[in-house]
Amino acid sequence: MNAPTFPLHPALVMAQLAEMRDQFRPRAERAMGILRAKWFLRDCHLDWGVATYGRVVVDNQGVVELGPRLSFMGGMVPTTLTCHPGARLVVGASSHFNYGVSLEAWESVSIGERCMFASFVRICDRDGHRTAPIVIEDDVWVAHGAILMPGVRIGARSVVSAGSIVTHDVPPDMLAMGNPARTMSMDLVARGTGT
Amino acid sequence: MATTLPLRRGLGTLLARLKLHRCRAVGLAPIVLGRVWIHGEGEVVLGDHVVLDGRVAPIELHAQRGGRIVLEDDVAIEGGSSLEAQSCITVGAHSRLGTWCKVMDNQYHPLRGNRHERPASVPLTIEEDVTVGSRSILLPGTHLQKGARLAPGTVVSRRIPSGVRVGGSPARVLRTEEPG
Repeated sequence: MNAPTFPLHPALVMAQLAEMRDQFRPRAERAMGILRAKWFLRDCHLDWGVATYGRVVVDNQGVVELGPRLSFMGGMVPTTLTCHPGARLVVGASSHFNYGVSLEAWESVSIGERCMFASFVRICDRDGHRTAPIVIEDDVWVAHGAILMPGVRIGARSVVSAGSIVTHDVPPDMLAMGNPARTMSMDLVARGTGT
Repeated sequence: MATTLPLRRGLGTLLARLKLHRCRAVGLAPIVLGRVWIHGEGEVVLGDHVVLDGRVAPIELHAQRGGRIVLEDDVAIEGGSSLEAQSCITVGAHSRLGTWCKVMDNQYHPLRGNRHERPASVPLTIEEDVTVGSRSILLPGTHLQKGARLAPGTVVSRRIPSGVRVGGSPARVLRTEEPG
């Protein structure tokens, strides 16, 4: 079968248009997200290119510094950023937050670059007994429903698995899992599928 | 009262079918309370007498391209639960899922290597008469066999034999039912 020789064949035009639309849509959504972020995150020190794709609730009475190119996803529960008086909440560049993430700073919470936070992650540096700063280094992946307790330091490139409750420091390049979270080397976690 | 009840039930079913219009197939008499989000390009198939109670928070049924979510007869799902299918999620007959459950058949990010490419999916199966407690997380590779029960807050990623009650994170056996 020959290809259609006439250059403006309707099917070709439609395919081209669909392709252009698919290429354009993420950029348009990103632009809308950046505009939305200007409104939702108006109380924060905002760097360029921060986008929110859903609701973000900010209660800022301290210092919230958001780095460039962050993205906050939307979902069934809004993401909340809470910063109490005199506290400091710093998020590094290119981090990614799914919906329902709750960040609360009473003293200091700092998050490195290129981190990923899945839905319903809870990070609070006060638990009713003590207040201690939380440090999350670069490239950390915190999976769905994990809870980080005060005073925890998560090393670079570590992974906190789903539903775990981290009470102690996690060294770099490790996997933290369970309640309370135990750390194990990522080389030992050899599952053939899904990892 | 006796005369208005069938009418109200009929209207409720009609409303439920409207809320479920994105599903590929819906069985008899679905009950949908509150909000249900069905999105993605995959297919969602519901059996008879399915109860989706999204009053607390919306229920999310997310079947992505090529994915498939099957809820068999008499499945009850409570609010805030989220099922995300890249390949296949099957929930067996008479199963119950509590509030804020997360059921996913893909990790979305690999543990090693480039974090932005998507790993392979593992089909996730929940067999008949399974009870999943609220805030449980079912990771890829989960296979809950017939009559298994999950305590609230359990994190599972492998096969749970039938009639066993498990709980905790990582999941441990709390009790085994004696046969008969």
